[in-house]
Amino acid sequence: MTVQTEQETGKNEEWEPKIIAFLCNWCSYAGADLAGVSRIQYPPNIRIVRVPCSGRVNPYFIIKSLTDGWDGVVISGCHPGDCHYISGNLVARRRFAILNELLEFFGIEPDRVNFMWASAAEGERFAVLIRKATEKVKALGPNKKFEKKW
Amino acid sequence: MTEAKKEAEKLKKEIIVTGNEKPNVGVYVCHCGVNIAGVISVEDLIEYSKTLPDVTVARDYKFFCADTGQNIIKEDIQAGLVNRVVVAACSPRMHEPTFRLVLKEAGLNQFLFEQANIREHSTWVHMREPEGAYEIAKDHVRMAVAKARELKPLEVKKVSIEPTCLIIGGGISGMNAALDLANGGFKVYLVERTPTIGGHMAQLDKTFPTMDCSACILTPRMVDVARNENIELLTYSEVVEVTGYVGNFEATILKKPHYVDQVKCNGCGICVDYCPVTCGNEFDLGLASRKAIYVPFPQAVPGQFTIDMDKCIKCGICAREDVCEPEAINFEDEPEYLKVKIGTIIIATGWDLYDPTELGQYGFGRYPNVITGLQMERILSSTGPLVGKPARPSDLKDPHSIAFLQCVGSRNFRDGGNQYCSRVCCMYATKQARQYKEKHPEADVYIFYMDIRAFGKGYEEFYESAARNYGINYIRGRIAEVSEDEDKNIVIRAEDTLLQEPIELKVNMFVLSCGLEPRADAGDIASLVRIQRSSDGFFMEAHPKLRPVDTLTAGIFVAGVAQGPKDIPDAVAQAKGAASSAAALMGKGEIELEPFFGSVDMARCIGCGMCVENCAYGAIELIEDRHFGTVASINNALCKGCGACSGNCRCAAIDVIGFTGEQIFEIITKRC
Amino acid sequence: MSEQYKWRYGFFLGCVAPNRYPMIEASIRAVFEHLGAELLELEGASCCPAPGVFRAFHIPSWLVIAARNITIAEELGVSPITGCNGCYGTLRDTWVELEHDKEMKKMVNEHLAKVGREYKGNMEPKHVVQALYLDMGIDYLRDHVKHTFSDLKVAVHYGCHIVKPSDKRPWGGEYENPTFLDEIVELTGAKSIDYKDKFMCCGAGGAVRTAVKEISADFSREKLTNIREAGADIIINCCPFCHLQLDLGQMEANGIYKDIIGEPFKVPVIYLTQLLGLSFGIDPNQLGLIKNHELAGVPPFISIDPFLNIVKEQLI
Repeated sequence: MTVQTEQETGKNEEWEPKIIAFLCNWCSYAGADLAGVSRIQYPPNIRIVRVPCSGRVNPYFIIKSLTDGWDGVVISGCHPGDCHYISGNLVARRRFAILNELLEFFGIEPDRVNFMWASAAEGERFAVLIRKATEKVKALGPNKKFEKKW
Repeated sequence: MTEAKKEAEKLKKEIIVTGNEKPNVGVYVCHCGVNIAGVISVEDLIEYSKTLPDVTVARDYKFFCADTGQNIIKEDIQAGLVNRVVVAACSPRMHEPTFRLVLKEAGLNQFLFEQANIREHSTWVHMREPEGAYEIAKDHVRMAVAKARELKPLEVKKVSIEPTCLIIGGGISGMNAALDLANGGFKVYLVERTPTIGGHMAQLDKTFPTMDCSACILTPRMVDVARNENIELLTYSEVVEVTGYVGNFEATILKKPHYVDQVKCNGCGICVDYCPVTCGNEFDLGLASRKAIYVPFPQAVPGQFTIDMDKCIKCGICAREDVCEPEAINFEDEPEYLKVKIGTIIIATGWDLYDPTELGQYGFGRYPNVITGLQMERILSSTGPLVGKPARPSDLKDPHSIAFLQCVGSRNFRDGGNQYCSRVCCMYATKQARQYKEKHPEADVYIFYMDIRAFGKGYEEFYESAARNYGINYIRGRIAEVSEDEDKNIVIRAEDTLLQEPIELKVNMFVLSCGLEPRADAGDIASLVRIQRSSDGFFMEAHPKLRPVDTLTAGIFVAGVAQGPKDIPDAVAQAKGAASSAAALMGKGEIELEPFFGSVDMARCIGCGMCVENCAYGAIELIEDRHFGTVASINNALCKGCGACSGNCRCAAIDVIGFTGEQIFEIITKRC
Repeated sequence: MSEQYKWRYGFFLGCVAPNRYPMIEASIRAVFEHLGAELLELEGASCCPAPGVFRAFHIPSWLVIAARNITIAEELGVSPITGCNGCYGTLRDTWVELEHDKEMKKMVNEHLAKVGREYKGNMEPKHVVQALYLDMGIDYLRDHVKHTFSDLKVAVHYGCHIVKPSDKRPWGGEYENPTFLDEIVELTGAKSIDYKDKFMCCGAGGAVRTAVKEISADFSREKLTNIREAGADIIINCCPFCHLQLDLGQMEANGIYKDIIGEPFKVPVIYLTQLLGLSFGIDPNQLGLIKNHELAGVPPFISIDPFLNIVKEQLI
């Protein structure tokens, strides 16, 4: 598998980004549920994976997502201080600060990977943040940096 | 258990699954009435599911959570058609337990189940974009099937539950929950921050709609709590740390120093006469004073005294032999920490009154005759600073006219305002107006309102009587602003919206019916026990309709105004509900936990120790293994299965059962 | 952008200030120059148009004309700034409404296209007081204060459009009882005194002055009575129309209501930047405070000599 260098990402008006979202069970997944219960509408670009805590998300998952063709990744956890497992979200935050630098070094646009906090009571906020992340990824165009050669 | 179920139990055969055989995945797409079927085509989704590898069965039904729906799944399992089950329906937070039970009843290991959320995360949030919703539904099903392939059978972990409950907050809710649990045979720690139990209800004079004297119905309860053998009453104490999990919490309680020996003090009160320090009285909201050595109010329970060290000048007069005969004063008193093991926790921390100082146009804090509703309670109260003869603050004359303003600090949609209705203010203003009219029938009493909410049992009748029989004037219109005249009367400018006329009114006293707010440190309490708060700041219930006293954290319940503004009957009902829920949990003696723990593949582990640092519970340590050298080892008793350890492991050696790396990789990959 | 200027705005003059009270325009220019804010000319700007009269007749026309004025600033890449509550009300309400109402914005741009303009909505209309209080900040202003008054009692008049409708204003927090103008005034050492009905309208706007002069004079009479009873030395305002109503209107009230007011009113009416400029040490001639002619019918109509005496006693 090779990484394509500086390729023009074709921005197609019809194209919609596909974003994988890792949501922590206690806050963000519940917040997404609340958005559903409240019928708050947001663009249909994310696919949700439930994890016990944002701390569970290993950087491998993010890189695997990008190499497998997902246009963007969202990781969402509890607000600092509110983590159900005390500090998992802070561990996650530190991890992604470093991962961001690594991604930039690889030539992958950092805006493809979005880290956010949303609590179980914040259905509206969840929808707003997803909308923002979707717009950011959409502006970058489809993820064409990885192409399987064999 | 129904008859049908009993029969089925007899016929059930156990299906042995090792986890290494070929997975046969059954996909069950629920219509959920029109919630799902009204937006996407369930038939198309079934056809799509059949194309996924390892899917042997794909069915749809109107409501899979219903008995008949559940039976469809059971029959497939018992016929040997499926050994992994995916239900595509609502959120797993809704019905995962329901469907796990279905598998269990059919004889299949309950953890071979995965739920695809195609309602809250698809059809409900993309109602006007059915194509988008359908794409999401397809992907969620594909991802759930991918995980299902990798699921392994697991056994639940059973832990014992300590039959002890910690109740934080000693107001009417905390006390009622404590009594119910204690009478049911459970041990209760009732922790209260102030020197006495009773809460805000002790500050009230009469309660609506019966006009019962608040202290008369409250104090017997307080005495019951103090006397109950199963309740350990810890007043003037605070919970400073809570660790552990449901059934097995450990709480650290700080017992603040009273500086008065609580055993020796007999509550005689002679020290009060001798104490030279006079300071503000919190109980009377600044309308009266107390000494540095005090009990908050005469009927306080416990009745022993406390010295407020912030105000005390340590003159030592109270410690003199001729003053304190039992020699109870102890200036060397130290804080004490108590560690207790508890099974369940109930949060009943109550409320603060909204502070209307920021509403400059109403003059609170500037004009002496503008007071809050709670201050009015104290002024009316027979145990208050005016001993039941209400008078106005500026000159202590009886007001001939009083105006109330409703919705102060509530129903406010400006930035940072409290949007909710505080539920009790319409009734308490009506009550206070009636009380005043009973003492002064000739007085003019006005209540300025937006809407009158008299929803409870006997409330509408109470309100009608107030207007009709007592002659209280209800004026529909918000007060724009007030000013003061030379005699400190309050001049009100408002609009009577029903008559559509501006009015100007001069009254002797102006009462702001302030709303209820969450405690200022509610955020600290939420972090302490790790529960969530709703957007209005009160503690969040697990489900607004069906689980009003549970929180999202197992074993922790909430009762009273801590969960949201409510009146006394509702607070007591909730307290009893929380006690019942806690008792249900503790009564069983043991609880089943999901067996999602960390696990270490020692062959891969290089013993770097990163996981040890990341574990907030100290559940991991490095050990010396005979074959593999220095490796990580997890203590399952402490592990919560959060995965903070495995998020960092570069060797993929440490994993979380139930959310393994393999399972997640399968979900991510789009190849199948 | 010139390096010496920290802020740049497009100066929207409006009608009343340049035509009736040019000292207000002069004092704004002097103070902003002193504070390091550049005021660019908005060539071709018209009447805002008036937020009361014009808007009451035909909202779409009002939006189009207001949008056109904003585009002049947009083309220069600056926020339009005005010293008039009325112009502020029009420009800012337009900006907020067109941000939310896409249909209206389309309609506005269809009309503007006919004169080769396009409204984008990317430049926020600001009031002079907003620039002073929010952009520059109280601390920055305090650093420029050279002289302070020792005993000046000021009745601060906010006016209406600067605070209402509150959801379209940047002030945050309490809308019924703002304090931002009092805070700026008190930087000069003056004391902002409380008076009855401080937030009452001056009576000029909404065609009241034009259509029913006596009623508008009655408004001024009531306000001036309250101000006099509170013992104020001067009135400070931040709107040329309020300034006109309280100055010329004071003279009118003295005439129409002479039987009920007792002593005629003689409270000097001063614009905010005139007071601020004095405190910063700017020449009072530049602030339009010194009368240098003998013409009749030229403002100020109520003598500001009492104020100038206070200045002489307390400041210099």
